[in-house]
Amino acid sequence: MTPKSNGIWVILLSFLVAYLLAIVPFPDWAMHYRPQWVMLVLIYWVMALPYRVGIGSAWMAGIFTDILEGSLLGIHAFTFAILAYITLSLHQRVRLFSSWQQSGIILALVGLVMTGTYWIKVMTGETAQGSMLFLLGALSSAFVWPWLFLLLRQLRRGFDVH
Amino acid sequence: MALALSLMYADNRYEYLDRVRFSVAYLTTPVYWLADIPTRISFWIDDVFVSQRDLIEENTQLRQQLLFAQRELQLLAGLASENSRLRELQEASQAVQGRVMTAEIINVSNDPGSRRVLINRGAHDGVVDGQALLDAHGLMGQVVEVLPFTSWVLLITDSRHGTPVQVNRNGERTIARGSRGDAPGLELEFVPDTADIAVGDLLVSSGLGQRFPKDYPVAEVTSVVHDPGQPFALIKARPLAQMDRTRHVMLVVPDEEAIVGPPVFFDANTGVIE
Repeated sequence: MTPKSNGIWVILLSFLVAYLLAIVPFPDWAMHYRPQWVMLVLIYWVMALPYRVGIGSAWMAGIFTDILEGSLLGIHAFTFAILAYITLSLHQRVRLFSSWQQSGIILALVGLVMTGTYWIKVMTGETAQGSMLFLLGALSSAFVWPWLFLLLRQLRRGFDVH
Repeated sequence: MALALSLMYADNRYEYLDRVRFSVAYLTTPVYWLADIPTRISFWIDDVFVSQRDLIEENTQLRQQLLFAQRELQLLAGLASENSRLRELQEASQAVQGRVMTAEIINVSNDPGSRRVLINRGAHDGVVDGQALLDAHGLMGQVVEVLPFTSWVLLITDSRHGTPVQVNRNGERTIARGSRGDAPGLELEFVPDTADIAVGDLLVSSGLGQRFPKDYPVAEVTSVVHDPGQPFALIKARPLAQMDRTRHVMLVVPDEEAIVGPPVFFDANTGVIE
């Protein structure tokens, strides 16, 4: 077991792919269905390696999202940090769940974080107050979670990241 | 937590974080560059795998279009000189149309609540805040954030964006605001029921507010509803620019002397600008 530096590039690469998926242009009608890839990858790594990926990493991931999207600096840093905190406090229980139960947790978590982000955005005038349709994104996130989980676990075991 | 909160506050209220944003954008540009690769490849495939016949056909078509365009341009030149003579008679400075810089849309904002696009021109190409963006059909939006090699453009269909427009037919002025619904469109705000605006009217930018160049086509009126229960008429318009289909766009480079347009006289009785 090589300490620390082991497989950091796997984690970074998975985040990079998540960012790419997050900004790849979607047609207008499908906008609301876009899964929150960055949040999902973040939740996975926090759950799998809570001693390596924690609130600090979540904060950095959030800041990067803010800059990427051109949104107000700190919005995503704030909400991702909260997401990481909740995941950290739940991870031991969630690990034992079946994949469909995990999907339920993901639905609640991502929905909560998206709503929080939306509230802050509306408060600061970043977005116009509109429908709550964006929560469909939480639904699609929960839907892709089992497959993403399997994929990332394969990656983690294959490259022996711990 | 506290750091994130104070960052949000600072970014919302003050401007010095813009520089931070600007420099970190050097990191994010490659991500957008990567995300754009599939589109570029598909364009490249389109370019490479075309038959000679298609090319010849396209070439003839383009020639014809060019001919038509040149003919209209000749007419336009005549009209423009006549227009400027008339303006000189009125002792008003002429509103210069400005040069344009071509750009490409490389991404769209993934936030459904705001309508913004990312273009592949930034501070290194001389883009400045507030520059107007056009496509071949009409006005698209204005630059709101300049990054080193890219810039964010707020589209005129964003619900927080208002475009000063006038009806081409009679000069009736109003403000076109992005509609709040999910469908991208424009709504004319605070138009009295008596205003002479009909379905099919062309709305052009009025140049008021000195943000957008004058007389660029903006939208076409699609519905006019006079509801007795509402203080104002409900008027919807469809933007002429192909917001979600086009990739090639133009940035208007503002001229130094073009800021002051001709004086506008408003006749209170008829509501007509003379």
